[in-house]
Amino acid sequence: MNDGIKLSRKDFLKIAALGAGALSLTTGGLSLFEGCTASRRPGTMFFSEDEIKLTEAIAEQIVPADDWPGGRDAGVANFLDTQLIGSYRRFQQDYQKGLAGLEKSCADKYHRKFEDLAWETQTAILQDMETGRLDGDVWKNGFSEYFFELLRAHCLQGYYGSPRHGGNKNYISYKMIGLDEPQIVGENRSGI
Amino acid sequence: MSNRHVNAVIVGAGAGGGVAAKELSEAGLSVVLMERGDWASYDVHNNDELLSQRTTVLGNAFGPDDERYRRVVVNDDGSTKVVVASENDYNNVAACVGSGTVSYGAMAWRFMREDFRMKTTYGHIEGSTLADWPISYEELEHCYEKAEWEIGVAGDAAQNPFAAPRNKPYPMPPFAYNKEAKILESSMRRLGLHPFPIPMLRNSISYNGRAACVRRRSCCGFACPINAKSGTHNTAIPAALSTGNCELRTNCIVNELVTDGNGRITGISYFDKDERKQVQSADIIIISASATETPRLLLNSKSKHYPNGVGNRYDWVGRNLQGHAYTGAFGLFEDDIFDDVGPGATIAVSDFSHHNPGIVGGGILANEFTRLPYFFTGIRPTGFPKWGKSHKEFQRKYFRKNVQVVGPIQEMPFFDSRVQIDPSVKDYWGIPVVRLSGHRHPKDVKGCEFLSSKAEIILKEAGASYTWQSIGGKGLSGGQHQAGTCRMGDDPRTSVADKYGRVHETPNVFVADASLHVTNGGFNPALTIMALGYWVAGHIAAEWQKGNRFT
Amino acid sequence: MPIKNIRKSIKIVIIAAAGLLAVFGGFIVYWEAATPQNTCTSCHEIDGPASMWAESGHRSMHCKECHETAFSGGLHSLVEKGMMVVHHFAGSGERIIMLNEVQLAALLTNCKRCHGVEYARWLSGGHSAPYSAIFLNEKHNTAVQPNSDCLRCHGMFYEGTITDLVSPISIKGPWKILDPEQAAMPVIPCFACHEIHRKGSVAARADYSDPKKIYYSTPARSSAALFYDRYDKAHIETGSLPVLKLWEGERPVDVSEDPIQRICVQCHAPNAFHQAGTSDDRTPRGIHEGLSCQSCHEGHSNDPRQSCMNCHPAVSNCGLDVMKMNTTFADKNSPHNIHSMRCLDCHTKGVPKKRA
Repeated sequence: MNDGIKLSRKDFLKIAALGAGALSLTTGGLSLFEGCTASRRPGTMFFSEDEIKLTEAIAEQIVPADDWPGGRDAGVANFLDTQLIGSYRRFQQDYQKGLAGLEKSCADKYHRKFEDLAWETQTAILQDMETGRLDGDVWKNGFSEYFFELLRAHCLQGYYGSPRHGGNKNYISYKMIGLDEPQIVGENRSGI
Repeated sequence: MSNRHVNAVIVGAGAGGGVAAKELSEAGLSVVLMERGDWASYDVHNNDELLSQRTTVLGNAFGPDDERYRRVVVNDDGSTKVVVASENDYNNVAACVGSGTVSYGAMAWRFMREDFRMKTTYGHIEGSTLADWPISYEELEHCYEKAEWEIGVAGDAAQNPFAAPRNKPYPMPPFAYNKEAKILESSMRRLGLHPFPIPMLRNSISYNGRAACVRRRSCCGFACPINAKSGTHNTAIPAALSTGNCELRTNCIVNELVTDGNGRITGISYFDKDERKQVQSADIIIISASATETPRLLLNSKSKHYPNGVGNRYDWVGRNLQGHAYTGAFGLFEDDIFDDVGPGATIAVSDFSHHNPGIVGGGILANEFTRLPYFFTGIRPTGFPKWGKSHKEFQRKYFRKNVQVVGPIQEMPFFDSRVQIDPSVKDYWGIPVVRLSGHRHPKDVKGCEFLSSKAEIILKEAGASYTWQSIGGKGLSGGQHQAGTCRMGDDPRTSVADKYGRVHETPNVFVADASLHVTNGGFNPALTIMALGYWVAGHIAAEWQKGNRFT
Repeated sequence: MPIKNIRKSIKIVIIAAAGLLAVFGGFIVYWEAATPQNTCTSCHEIDGPASMWAESGHRSMHCKECHETAFSGGLHSLVEKGMMVVHHFAGSGERIIMLNEVQLAALLTNCKRCHGVEYARWLSGGHSAPYSAIFLNEKHNTAVQPNSDCLRCHGMFYEGTITDLVSPISIKGPWKILDPEQAAMPVIPCFACHEIHRKGSVAARADYSDPKKIYYSTPARSSAALFYDRYDKAHIETGSLPVLKLWEGERPVDVSEDPIQRICVQCHAPNAFHQAGTSDDRTPRGIHEGLSCQSCHEGHSNDPRQSCMNCHPAVSNCGLDVMKMNTTFADKNSPHNIHSMRCLDCHTKGVPKKRA
């Protein structure tokens, strides 16, 4: 299964980019290491600080904290942030459009940010989004229902999926439902 | 560099193609086996629910990938949408050596006698192209047996009084019931039903050098980490390769059949793993690329002699797309049921497979494979909140206390449920893609309602404190049990291939996958596809040895 | 070309080279000398592990002592670090900052510097077995062919697939390790159960002014070990690992609550039905039920030999010499398998009543 050292086109691009990176290291000097994190929370790759706060608040609504942590503490926003530059690249525009739209809807109606609203108000807004009752151009033509379903499914994936994708911190949802992870199961010894 | 001419080229190394490669190469034919994917590896895609073949939200673990594959789906209102491979509407079948047999649940059903004689048994069904198979169960029986012994099945046929007669028992003893199955067993017996352990293409004891199953929860939808699950990737294909007569070419995308000036198909053209276009000539061409990709290849092979595509003179290629509407019921219990003994599904009844009042066909009912955590978030009683506090409470309270009984309903073939070629959308290689349209026959919903009601009765008898039905049977069919698009039959005007899988219009092109299914039974189709692989390739090999070169 | 022009060209090349060397050299000097906060950890991809490291027992060590720098670790290190830059700018989100197996093996020399005793004990026990001992075991391979899941406990840091490691994948040998250098590598290095970045305190001399404090100032042992999951590519804390539930028939077996045992049972596991004594389960039953693995096995060598004397003959009043019993689980004929033996195994005619 090992094809030796034949380079694929992807590898070639990587090495070319590596050369460029090395060059910028030596010429650009240390400026590289400053300021990357200005508008982003450490560790986040896609969302801005505002977006991540909003996403956390939404995740907490989809999976609220009770005796067990909610979507915020389980790292659902981190899951989304990770996937949006990975498997969910194709949803980047939907997220940017939808999150901005939600910010605007809240600003227009309540003059506050979504995450600063009362819990019940947040719930009501999401229920409106789910059923296509939010005001604003952005929500037209079914985008409202579509984007809510995206958020709902992705948040549940972040909470109940494997921690390796960035959510379900400390295997919290597995512990909640009493699921052994990693499963304790041995091999058949076959007399060995 | 041109490829050496071979006796047979096989397109698709799945359940049918893998078996065909073994049969032909063992018979002494030189074979090239083409596969669009690569060898699957547990080290790459292991126990990750979000990448499993059942829950493909972050991608198809075993391909096809989202970057290069597209399909077009026609909505009910006639509008179309383009879907990527990990989306449900794509109706994906795994793209790897062994295809679905690497990650399937591995139920090893033989169809019943009635399943080959549906029209004789039930008569004409309005709006359906329901028909008998050109072969009987008795003709195919030895192929089922071969599949069971060579690939490897564990089960106990004696416990199923409805099973068609057989000459030989299964090679391995059945699997022990998990807790869910034990609870259902007594309930089923009290109802006068006949429960039995599900036959599985999985080792209950060490078999043919591969280990016995250790019953992990990540089984259905996953590759097996210890090779205890039997597929063509660890049986038939290695056997084919070890003859020295078979060459497997992975990462090769076949785009069309090559036709000479006289209308004879002389081989296939394909893109190799470096995306170079190549031709492989062969005496015989066997297509076993799934019930969506096989018709795509035939329809994409248009030429002077085949203006509508190969085998499509009477417009039957791609028609009658069937799958299985899954239908059943859920029950909630007071006590813990979940014992984490994988893969979950262990018990079934075949009491409702046929001769049900007012229903055409029917299906088995079985306990479902382990509902993993994200999968379980979609399991809620009708009208229950899909998010928020109560949704989470339900997850916590009932993950260990639920039972699901489901089955595949035998679908009525429907002429307008079909695979076509999209006129504009192309894939990464520039090959026009599959366009899916149509819907199931109204009878299917009736069958689903019937089977779901039976499932609910079983759950109530088992002591469920709350039950509800989930009824399938609407919308476009297909899915991983896709079948029927190159139906076999004796009349070239109402079928695509003859009883040996040979495409009517061509002497040397064969189909060897579920596309041949006239009807799809009320059972998971994997073992039947393997049996057809033995059937088609067995015929070719026997004829070849008699000197027939299919000219 | 005139000689003058050639000279000019040479001059330009020399100046350019010198300039480049000065910039490059300066950069290396700075990089080697600066604190991690000004170099590696200023990159947000490294935030997570770096902030853990800052609270770890190893916080006085520099990143480069294990990770090497791009320029000190040979071509491999240059490519690895270079790819980090590439991924950073490509925004691909691939988190590739992970030592490979060769680096991890080399690191054992670093571990040994301070943890010499533990290292020596590990080396003397079964957990330091090399790939050749595990994957070329004829007794195993003729019964069960090598498979991917072997690597979960034997070779959790192996980067390839089982087919890259050993051939043939069948019960018919002879088997060989495809890469001869791999054969001598340990399958279970320190990092199988330890995570360098884990929270902890820097080793310090105990405060002898108050002898009572010495014991309590020693951190709980359970916090020192974790389980490395090959599939998650992450260490799992004992608190997050599942607790084994075990049955002997219908009877639940009393399993020790020692958190460390949760690591042991990940590999020394019963079958999926969790029946005692199946597969590789060695959870104590019988007279030793409820004891933790660590009651008898030393953590690094797993040597249990000294442990009997800890309790016997004090808790046994029958006068039998426990030191002369054949207690190993490996001997199927031994009536004294320490993991499962019951009173009746010795007192075959019935257990005598306790003396008054």
